[in-house]
Amino acid sequence: MNVDMINSFINATVNALTTMAMLTVTRGSPYIKTTDENEFNRDISAIIGMAGDANGWVAFCLQRQLAVKIAANMLGEEKQEIDADVRDAVGEIVNMIAGGAKGELTQRGFSFKIALPTVVIGDNHELSRVKDFPYIVIPFATEEGNFTVEVCLKTNKI
Amino acid sequence: MSNVKILVVDDSSTMRRIIKNTLQKIGFENSVEAENGIDALSKLKAGGFNLILTDWNMPEMDGLTFVKSVRGSDTFKMIPVIMITTEAAKTEVVEALKQGVNDYIVKPFTPEALKAKVTRFISA
Ligand SMILES: [Mg+2]
Repeated sequence: MNVDMINSFINATVNALTTMAMLTVTRGSPYIKTTDENEFNRDISAIIGMAGDANGWVAFCLQRQLAVKIAANMLGEEKQEIDADVRDAVGEIVNMIAGGAKGELTQRGFSFKIALPTVVIGDNHELSRVKDFPYIVIPFATEEGNFTVEVCLKTNKI
Repeated sequence: MSNVKILVVDDSSTMRRIIKNTLQKIGFENSVEAENGIDALSKLKAGGFNLILTDWNMPEMDGLTFVKSVRGSDTFKMIPVIMITTEAAKTEVVEALKQGVNDYIVKPFTPEALKAKVTRFISA
């Protein structure tokens, strides 16, 4: 994984959340995750697999309040709790993150498929890394709470 | 009220609601939801559809396979199809157009973008 790849995930994330959830998104500094401990405490994650010239997954990890707010903004409805709508909404956002990044990366010669999203709920759950694959965490902040986009990806090309 | 009937196909209930709400705001009240290609083919049988809006990545039957079926059907092949998908890569867009998709919207999209594409094919 290189800076271009990270940037394509950042661009796709900002685009998805500003366009669909009307949030202002600021990004922090990406870092390599080396331990199993989460630096960012999360309640819900949406994960999507990728296979081809890039293999692995990307996850959208967030806390309850922000997840609920995103679904509420997308649907134009009041929401209080994590329910089926919230699960679906964060799943669709990670879909847009993967699809948007794929769009940029395809232009750089990477060809890969994206799978269907899955959603995990639980107090500070762990995402299982693929052995020996680089694992990058990109922290973001919004007015409604923080989140991370985590990319565990190995590429066949540089 | 417009008598235009639109089929909205997406596995995400959030996306189906966003699309339905936007259609409603621009005067298209009559839309029918389907969760995947198989569900969409069965809903199409009711007849009278003027436009199909379909996602690509869905379980059971994906949007591309669904579009191939529609284009291969004597009854439904003339219905315009707009694909609304997270697949932003140019190669994917070309593939979809080749399979008979008339227009293409990349998610995330604004209500204005959806309105502009939809009104190319139908009017309220
Ligand atoms: Mg989908």
